[in-house]
Amino acid sequence: MQKLTMKKGYRFRMAGAPADELVVLPAPARVAVLPERIPHIKPRLLVKKGDQVQIGSPLFEDKRNPRLRFLSPGGGTIHDISFGPRRVVQAIVIDRKENPEPETRFQAVTESQLAQIDRQALVDRILDGGMWWAFRELPFRDLPAPDGEPPFILVSLNAKEPFQPSPAVYLKDHEQLLAYGLKALNVLAPGRVRVFADASESSVIEKAGQWLTHVVSGNYPCDDPATVLYRIKSDASQNRAWFVAGQDLLALAHLLREGRYPIRRVVAVAGSAAPDRRHCQIRLGAPLSQLVDDARLRGGERFVVGGLFRGYSSDSDGYVGFYETAVNVVPEGGDPEFLALFNPGVSRPSYSRTFLSRLNPKALVYNCNMHGDLRACIACMHCADVCPVDLLPQMIYKSILAEEVEEYLELGLLDCVECGLCSYVCPSKIELSRTFIATKAAYAKEQAVKPD
Amino acid sequence: MKAIRQFFENQRRHFEGNAPLARLEPFYEAMERVFFGTGQVTGQAPHARDSLTVQRYMMLVIVMLLPCLFFGMYNVGLQSFKAAGQPLDFWPMMVFGAKIVLPLVIISYLFGFGWEIVFSAIRKHPISEGVFVTAMLFPLTLPPSTPWWQAALGISFGVVLGKEVFGGTGRNFLNPALTGRAFLYFAYPIQMSGDAVWTAVYNHGAQAVDAVTAATPLALATTAPASQTVEQTLAAAGYDFSTLFLGFYPDSIGASSALLCLIGAVVLMIIGVASYRIILGDIIGVLALGYVLNLFAGEGSAPYLGMNPFYHLIIGGTAFGIAFMTTDPVSAPDTHAARWIYGFFIGALTVLIRVFNPAFPEGIMLAILFMNVFAPVLDHLVIRLRIRKRIPNI
Repeated sequence: MQKLTMKKGYRFRMAGAPADELVVLPAPARVAVLPERIPHIKPRLLVKKGDQVQIGSPLFEDKRNPRLRFLSPGGGTIHDISFGPRRVVQAIVIDRKENPEPETRFQAVTESQLAQIDRQALVDRILDGGMWWAFRELPFRDLPAPDGEPPFILVSLNAKEPFQPSPAVYLKDHEQLLAYGLKALNVLAPGRVRVFADASESSVIEKAGQWLTHVVSGNYPCDDPATVLYRIKSDASQNRAWFVAGQDLLALAHLLREGRYPIRRVVAVAGSAAPDRRHCQIRLGAPLSQLVDDARLRGGERFVVGGLFRGYSSDSDGYVGFYETAVNVVPEGGDPEFLALFNPGVSRPSYSRTFLSRLNPKALVYNCNMHGDLRACIACMHCADVCPVDLLPQMIYKSILAEEVEEYLELGLLDCVECGLCSYVCPSKIELSRTFIATKAAYAKEQAVKPD
Repeated sequence: MKAIRQFFENQRRHFEGNAPLARLEPFYEAMERVFFGTGQVTGQAPHARDSLTVQRYMMLVIVMLLPCLFFGMYNVGLQSFKAAGQPLDFWPMMVFGAKIVLPLVIISYLFGFGWEIVFSAIRKHPISEGVFVTAMLFPLTLPPSTPWWQAALGISFGVVLGKEVFGGTGRNFLNPALTGRAFLYFAYPIQMSGDAVWTAVYNHGAQAVDAVTAATPLALATTAPASQTVEQTLAAAGYDFSTLFLGFYPDSIGASSALLCLIGAVVLMIIGVASYRIILGDIIGVLALGYVLNLFAGEGSAPYLGMNPFYHLIIGGTAFGIAFMTTDPVSAPDTHAARWIYGFFIGALTVLIRVFNPAFPEGIMLAILFMNVFAPVLDHLVIRLRIRKRIPNI
C-alpha cells in the first residue's frame, strides 16, 4: 500500500454531512433511466411507450457503438419517454409490476470460473449484462472501447466531494463482492488495477486494506481517479486510463457473480436543507420524492443530484441517474444580501482569507448564490492555487477564448479533473470549469471522427 | 434596509431594456452592489460559489489605504506649518492638510469613476471596482502642491490610456495609477519635481514668502557631500531613522510613512489580497542591490553608494510602491515564480535608478512601469518551463 499526499484542493467545513446509518427504502412504484445524464453517448431507443420490459431488458443502445447497451432497472411497463430540446432523450420512466417483478437472468461466473476465463469472454459477459457503463476512460470520462487495453484501471472507493456516500457504509457486508470485482478487473488489466481510498476512512482501510494499492490523503478532490492518475503516471501512454467508481464496481461484480442485473444503490441524502441526512439503500433510478420528503421542506431549496460540485440540479419530481450516488438539498440563496460587501463574514464560506469564517471552527452553510457578478480576471491566482493537477486555469481559459488549441492542450487541459474548484474560488465568477468540460467534450468529438 | 431595497427596485426600470438610461446599467449595478449582494444563483455545477467578490477584494485594498490617506493629511499640514513657522497644533494642521488633500482625492474619484462609466456605457463592460483603488492610489502619490487640473488630467490619462484603451481592468498591462503619475511627471516636470513642490504653501499673505521649504530626503541623499555619509547628512537635516520610518518628512501625500505601508502590506499579505511573493521579492531586491552598492563604496565614491540599504526602503515612495503598486495583480505577472523575479527586479531597479540617475530622484515608479512591461515575458518563460515538466496529455 502506497501513500499519496496531495497538498492542493479545498478543505471544506460544510454543514449537512449525512449520518452513517443506512436506511433500506422499499421499492418505488416507478423507476427511471436518464440517458441525458450519461455523458458523451448518443442513445438510440429500443423501446417505446407502453412496451413491457423486464429488469435487465435493453432500453437503448449507443449509436456510436451498438454493443454498448443500457438495461432497464425495473420490470413492468414503459410509462413515458420524455424528450428535451433537440430531441435529447431525457428520461425513460418505467411503471414497476409487483410480485413477481419480471427479470432477465444472465449467465453467472463463479469464482473458480473467473480464475480461468479469458479476457474476451469476460468483456462479452459485461457487455451482454449492460454494465459496460461502469467503466469510463480518462481524460474524457467517456465509455471506453470494449477491445481497448487500459494502461490502468483505477478504482476510487470514496468521494470527498460534499456529500457522497461513505465507503464504510456501502461496503459493509460486501467486502467479498469487492474482492470478486477486483479479480474481474484483473482479468481485464492484469497487474494494472489500482485501488485507492482516502486516509480518513480508517475502518475501510482496516477491512479492505489488503486490496488497496494506494491511500490518498489531502483535500477534495484528492481521491478522484484523474488526480491519482496525475500523480502516478510516468509517461504519456498512461493518459487513457479507465476508472470505476466503488459502487459501480460492486454493481459489476453483482452482475457477474449472480447473473442478475444490479439494482441496489446506496445514496447519501445530505445538504444543510435536507430534512433527514442519512444513507439510503434504493433501487437504481429511484425517484427523488422517495428520498426527500417534500412536505418537510421550508421552500427555497435546490435539489442537487450528485455532489455539490459536479451534480446536476433537478426538480423534486426527478430521478437519480446511473452514475449519481447522492442527493444534496441546499438553500437556493436567491435573496440579495444587505451590505454583503461589508459583512465581516463569520459564517461566510470562502477559500480566501478575507472572511472571519477563517477563524470559525463551525461547519458552514453553503448556498447557491453566485456571491458576485461576472468581472474580468484580475489574476488573483486562486484557481491555480486550488487546482489539484497544477493547471493554470486562467491561462487555459484565455487560450480557449483565443481558440489556441495547441496552447491549451500543452497547458494540460486534458489533465483537468472537472472538480469545479476553479469556478468555485473565482472572485470574478468566471465559469472556468464548465468551459473546460465543454471544450474537452468538443475535442473528444473531434478526435472520434478522425480516421484511424 | 427595506427602503433602500425599494429605492433600487424603483430606479431599476430606468436602466433596463429601452429606457433612456439603459446604457448606464453598469453604473446602476455598481451602485446597487454597494448596498446589496447579488440575487443571481448558479445555473450549473459547481452549485456553490465562494463568497469572495472582486468588489471585496478591491475594498480591502482601499481600507488599507485609508491610514495612509489620513496620515497624509496630517503630514501635509505638519510640513506646511513647519515651513511657515506656525505653531504645531494637531487640529489646525489636520484641517489644513484635509483642505489640500481631499479636493485632490475627490477630483481623482470624479474623473476616474467618470471615465469608467463612460467606457462601460460605450464598450458595454461592467464597471470594474479596480477603478476605485486606482482613484485612491493616484492622489496619494502626488505632491501636495499639485494643481487640481493636473490631478484631473493625470487620473484621466491613467484610466483612459493606461487601462480603458486596452479593454478595461484585467486587460491593462500597466498600473493605471502609476501611468497617470508618470504622465504628470514627464509632462509637467516643474510642478512635479524640485524641493518646493513637496510642501504645500501655507498661504497667509506676506507670511507665504517667509516659508522655508525643506529638501526631501531623496534630494539630500543624492546631493550628500562626500565628506559625510548619507545617514549623517539626513540626520543633520532632521531626518533620523525613526522620523523617516514614521514618515514625518516632506514627500508625496500618502507615501511617506513606511510604517503604515508596512502595516498595510502585512495585512494584505495575511488576508491573501497582496502577493507575498511580490512584496518579499521587492524587499529582497532593494536590500540586495543596496548591499552590492555598499561593496563599491569607498574613498572618493558618491556617498549614496554606501547608504545603509534599509534606508532605501524607508525614504521616498519605495514602501508605498511595494505595498500597494507592485501588488496590483493585473499588471504583475500571474505565475508564482515570475512574481518573485518581478519583485526582485523592481527592487533592484529602484535602487539603481535612484543612485545612478540624478535626473530621477525617485526610482520606484519607473521601475514598476518598466517591469509591468516585462511581466508577460516573465510569465511566458515560467509557463514554458512548467509545460516542459508536465507529462504531455494530448
